[in-house]
Amino acid sequence: MAISLSVDLENFPRKKIRPSWTAVFSWVFSALAFIFFLTLAGFLLQGSQPVLRKEGLDFFLGSIWHYRVLCFGALPMLYGTTVVAVVAILFAAPLAFGSAILTAEYLSGKIRLLVKSLIELLAGIPSVVYGLLGVIYLRPMIFNTLKPFHPETGDNLLSAGLIVGIMILPTIMSLSDDALRGISREDRETALALGLTRYEMFFHAVLPKAFPGLVSAVLLGFGRALGETIAVYLVAGRADNRLPQPWYSLRPLLESGQTLTSKLGGSEVGIAYGNPVHWSAMIGLCLLLFLTVMVFVSVGQGLKFFGRDYGR
Amino acid sequence: MKDSIRTLKENFFTGFVFVSGLITLGFLAAALGLVTFKGFRAVSPAFLFTAMREGGVSGGILYQIAGTVILALTTLSIVLPIAWGVALLRSVYIPNTALRQGLSFFLYTLNGIPSILFGIFGFFLFVKGLGWGKSWLTGGILLAMMILPAVAMNLSEGMDRIPKDYIENARALGLSRSQLIWSVLAPQSFSSFMSGLLLGLGRAAGETAPVIFTATVFAGAFIPKGITDNPVLSLPYHIFNLAQESYQPQALQNAWGSAFVLIAMVFFFNLAQLPFRLRFHEEAEAA
Repeated sequence: MAISLSVDLENFPRKKIRPSWTAVFSWVFSALAFIFFLTLAGFLLQGSQPVLRKEGLDFFLGSIWHYRVLCFGALPMLYGTTVVAVVAILFAAPLAFGSAILTAEYLSGKIRLLVKSLIELLAGIPSVVYGLLGVIYLRPMIFNTLKPFHPETGDNLLSAGLIVGIMILPTIMSLSDDALRGISREDRETALALGLTRYEMFFHAVLPKAFPGLVSAVLLGFGRALGETIAVYLVAGRADNRLPQPWYSLRPLLESGQTLTSKLGGSEVGIAYGNPVHWSAMIGLCLLLFLTVMVFVSVGQGLKFFGRDYGR
Repeated sequence: MKDSIRTLKENFFTGFVFVSGLITLGFLAAALGLVTFKGFRAVSPAFLFTAMREGGVSGGILYQIAGTVILALTTLSIVLPIAWGVALLRSVYIPNTALRQGLSFFLYTLNGIPSILFGIFGFFLFVKGLGWGKSWLTGGILLAMMILPAVAMNLSEGMDRIPKDYIENARALGLSRSQLIWSVLAPQSFSSFMSGLLLGLGRAAGETAPVIFTATVFAGAFIPKGITDNPVLSLPYHIFNLAQESYQPQALQNAWGSAFVLIAMVFFFNLAQLPFRLRFHEEAEAA
């Protein structure tokens, strides 16, 4: 348990009435940061008003985005973002859990530290480098492997999802490892002493307690996948107004698509600034992205806080 | 019979775990191996120390490296005071635990904001709103705000790890709050600060999305001479553009070279933080 300084400091002698320079420094700089993020929130809420007033619910549910005729429906991008993030999580979560179980349950000492740090290095590779690798290697690979299904090109939502999956792999793995390491050794030793195999020990003694932490890891990974921009931009194809027919069709995986982030990373941002409604529509996309990401990230963080007590 | 099923499950489980570990490490090896293999051939002293020509098809990446360093240094100087301010607020000046937890939760959540949002917001506020045009300073501010939550939380948690004895001793000696901060908290949490800062800078140096619209251009920028309308070139944006020209073999080769240099810079930050991280682990264990 971390030692709380604030409890001690509450009874600290306060000789001076006037605040110290250190306190002023601390409050002023914190206020600057706070103002920045408050302005950011205000920008998203205020800036998206015109388009929300113009389009209403159609901004979220409309399936056509044509800025020349000022028609702004974000559904295809919302769809693209969801598909990419779901592919990413389906690809990454099993591998991440497996690797986390490996480092938390099977390895110990220096080897554990080595493997964990190596996998965390994966997280340090910039997304533009993943994008480059995706353009050069993954794109042709997907195109050639899936030729029987007649993909349009290698630029599709599947490629984008797989690249993002590799990018969030270390994030989920590292958070899952933390969650698993948070379970006390006694629980494990008791289970093993009762004659359980490692597999049974994991599923009956460790997993139930680590569960909130693992769910949190997946949610935080999902949040990152939703917001990933550059790598997705490079391999998603960026074709507007694509929706599946019927809605459950898997066909769009092999077709070019557009995500919220690939739209926001493109040159349309510069064009949009000249027209108030168009610009507002871009901010509306920002707001949409912000809200979806924040839902997953805050629930994930909440579970992590909650999971700490749950594990005891 | 039952036991053989148990053994089977056990073996299957162990197999799954090791195979996933190997696959994950395989991805790392493949990514690093490919960039190193392709990039190493493209890198030469001439590539590192000459300016780009013909839209990146020939010439080097001198000003891209310079721009990335300028952005990282600007980020460093902006995030430094703010991270200390926020961390001190959380560890020292907010006595109420509920408020403290609220602030922690807030910072963790802000850490999840997609980086492209910083880019669009910066474009609106600095490039257009304040009329700065594209500027290295905007890039520094946005990158600093992007890494702020992680750097501040790392530092603040480092302060929380300081052994209670130290604080009680300081208290017994009659130190004031700010004396306590400057002579106990700051020096004792320095390792945590450095490890968080270097990790954050590594992340900032490799980011593309926040700077596309706000701070970098593809060509025609050198060392900035002022603030407004003074963009820089940068490695991530260079790679981003060359990746879209990758049908030209020469552009592609330069993209690999730039990617190799960028990864080397990012890993430099990641490796430089290791001694600091190991140090605060030792400190925590010694207490």
